[in-house]
Parts: sequence; structure tokens; C-alpha cells
Amino acid sequence: MSDQHSFAVAAPEVWDDKHHPHVNYWYVFYALCVFTGLSVIADLVRGNSLLASVVGPHNVKLVVAFVVLSIACCKALFVMLYFMHLKFEGKWKFVLLAPTIVLAMAIPAALMPDIGSHYYDYQVPQLEEDASAGHGDAPAGEHGAAPKHD
Amino acid sequence: MSHAVADPAHGHSHAPVLKMGVPIPNGKLGMWLFLGTEIMFFTAFIGTYIVLRLGSRGWPSDPEVTHIRIWAGGLNTFVLITSSVFVVLAHEAVHNGKFKLATNWMIATTVLAFVFLGIKSYEYYGKFEHDILPGHVAESPRQALDKLARELDAASGLPPLQEKETHINNLIAANQGKDSKSLEAQRDAVQADIKKLDGVVAAYRPLKDKAKYGATTAVEAATLVHDIVPELTSLKKEFPQFEAVHDPHPIKWGNTFASIYFLMTGFHALHVIIGVIMFAIVIILGVGNKLGAQHSVMVENFGLYWHFVDLVWIFLFPLIYIV
Repeated sequence: MSDQHSFAVAAPEVWDDKHHPHVNYWYVFYALCVFTGLSVIADLVRGNSLLASVVGPHNVKLVVAFVVLSIACCKALFVMLYFMHLKFEGKWKFVLLAPTIVLAMAIPAALMPDIGSHYYDYQVPQLEEDASAGHGDAPAGEHGAAPKHD
Repeated sequence: MSHAVADPAHGHSHAPVLKMGVPIPNGKLGMWLFLGTEIMFFTAFIGTYIVLRLGSRGWPSDPEVTHIRIWAGGLNTFVLITSSVFVVLAHEAVHNGKFKLATNWMIATTVLAFVFLGIKSYEYYGKFEHDILPGHVAESPRQALDKLARELDAASGLPPLQEKETHINNLIAANQGKDSKSLEAQRDAVQADIKKLDGVVAAYRPLKDKAKYGATTAVEAATLVHDIVPELTSLKKEFPQFEAVHDPHPIKWGNTFASIYFLMTGFHALHVIIGVIMFAIVIILGVGNKLGAQHSVMVENFGLYWHFVDLVWIFLFPLIYIV
């Protein structure tokens, strides 16, 4: 018996353009606009004293970052599911996309220990000079290191 | 060799049923594989940006310093989202056999792509105007004062003339007493040009010396970097050739910021330009009445690509403009 009969072979699932997903794309668009508006609002309330008193002045940046990145994830999900039709695709999408997402994390993961979370201080002239000028680690522009201009 | 023979029709096989390939057109599979590589490409940039930010205390986030305008980023987000709807409606129109409508949606998408690029160009103009470019940013008051001294020299027009004079003098010296009348005439002309700049030199040299030697400690430099601005402003008013000299503004981590900013937004803008080329193909087919049902997969693939461009921007907007 030849090997060509060794496995059961099914006819490929024929891609049928008639099975086209029907989505009201305008609803998705409205949702994306609302999400974008929420991101802008998150930026506007950053300086609000009420927010600072609720989450603590040192956590405002962290909270705003968490909120806007969560919104971005929601927007990305809407685009992928409805505009890119991933909601209506087969399971091949997981086989194809999961490895790329895992591999995509390689560079950030490789850089993180040395660049992102180092326990030591960098020996760079601008930081030494800044520290000796009494600015410490204050961000430029927040302690007058860089005056505002148009 | 003995194996169970498959007979899916009668359902007697115990062997797994294999499917030949992914149930989508080859072109679409190719586009998804390409988008997989694109995910890795942009995640490398975005992930590196996040890591750099986490590891650089004092990263510039004040919009007045970085010249990041949230209204520009927000508007561009709206433009890309709208264009994403248009491109998906174009595919829908092709699917429904409305090729003229599909062409119109594609034209609208292309217009929005150009709007996006226009707003991006405006933002880039701001960066160039304030010299927020990789390798150009002064990161400390001392560096800012040194940069000011260099820019004052360059704007005066004096260094090239001095170099020319030195070069001619070297040639005359190399001639060793031979006839150098022509060279001497050239030197006289250059010296006359230098003489013409006497007024300019007298005006800017004290400011340059102050920038270069006026601060010996970091504390003095931090003070001088502010105090010198009014003098620079009055010099610019008196001599317009100094208009291009930048006010001394140190931005800590400014060069790393500029590098990663231009890397991320530059590659994204390049993808937008490639998208415009894709849309142009569809528009040309549509205008020439050659767009047909056979192009449905192609239009869908171009749409997938465009949605990915939109996806990247969805993450760039909060990361660059808000966080």
C-alpha cells in the first residue's frame, strides 16, 4: 500500500467569499472615537487636584498610563476583531499570531534587566552635572532646567 | 507497511483527518504572515521605548520641552480611525460588486492618509525648528552653552573665511618665495571680507565668550543658561543672521528621546506612504474600470495592512503623546 493512503485527507475547507461577515462598521468607528476621547480626557485630568488626592500625587502618572494603555488595548481589540475580521476567522489565527507575539517580546525582555530596571546609576556627564547643579533627578522642564517657549 | 486507510466519506477511519492548508486564500495568508513580522518589528521599537523610559529617570515629558502636541496626535488618531472605516467599506463595496463606490472609498482613504502625513510633517517641522534631533540636543546647561557658542560662530559667517585665509597662507608659505601674487590677491579679498564682519564680530564675540567661559561650575552654568537668553534675543534683533541660533535649552535624555521618537514615528509614516501606494493601485484600476470581483482579496489584503498601520498608531498615541 502506498504511503499516500496512510493518512486521512479531507478536502480543504474552501474559502467562500459569500461567507462574508456583516458588521456595522460605523458602530465600531463610534466606539473607537469614544475611546480616543477618553484618552484625551485622561490627559486633561492629569493635572486635576482631585485625582491627585484620590490616587496620591505620586501615582497620578502611573494611573493615567494604566488607563490610557488599557484604552489603547480596547481600541486595538476592536480594530482586530471587526475591521480585520479576526472574530470571524478560524483557529489558524492563534497558530499564526501567538508565536509572533511571544517572539516580539524578546527585545524588550532582553533590554529590561540592564536598561529598564538597573539598580545602579548611570555614569553620564549630563546627570552628574545636573546633580551637582542641585537638580538631582528632576525631569527637565519641571524644575526650570528648560524654560518654556513657543 | 500497514496503515488504516482513510475514508472520510464512510467515517470508518481512526486516523486524524488532515486539512490541506489554512482555509483562506494564499494571498491573505501571505499578508497575515507579513503582518506577523510587522508585529515583531514594531514591538521591538515600542518595547525598547518603554524600557528606555523606565530606565531613564527625568525622561522629558513636558510638552513645552518636547514639542509634542496632544491635539495633533489626537487628530491624527481620528484621521486614521476614519480611514480604517473607509478602507473596510471599500472592501465591502468590492464584495458587493459596487466597484465605483469602492474606488470612491479608496480615494477618501488616500486623502486621509495625506492629511495624516501633513499633520505629521507639521509636528516634524516643530522638532527641526527647535533642533530636537538625534545628536543635536544639549542635555545639560554646560552642553547648552557650548552649543550656543558653536551656533553663534557658525551664524556669524566668520569661521569659513578664517579657514580660507589660513589655507591661502599655507599655500603661500609652501611656495617658498616664488611668485604668489595671485594667492596674495585672494588673501587680500578674504581679509577684506573678514573686515566687513567687524561689526558683527564685535557684537557676538562677547556673548560667545560669556557662553564659553562665563560659567566654571555646574551651578553657574545652570544660572547662565537662563540669564544669557535676553542678550541673545537682542543680538538676534540687531543682526538677523543670528535668527537661526537656538535659545539654550538643555533637555535631559533629549537625544535618546529624539532617536526613539523619529524611529517609531518615521517607520510608521513610511508605512503610511506604502499604504498610499497600495491604494493608488486600486484607484487606478477603479478609474480605468478594471476593478472587479477578482480584486476582492487584494483589496482585503491592502485593508488588513492599513488596519495594522492604524493599530500601531493606536499604541503610539498614548505612549508618545500622553504617558
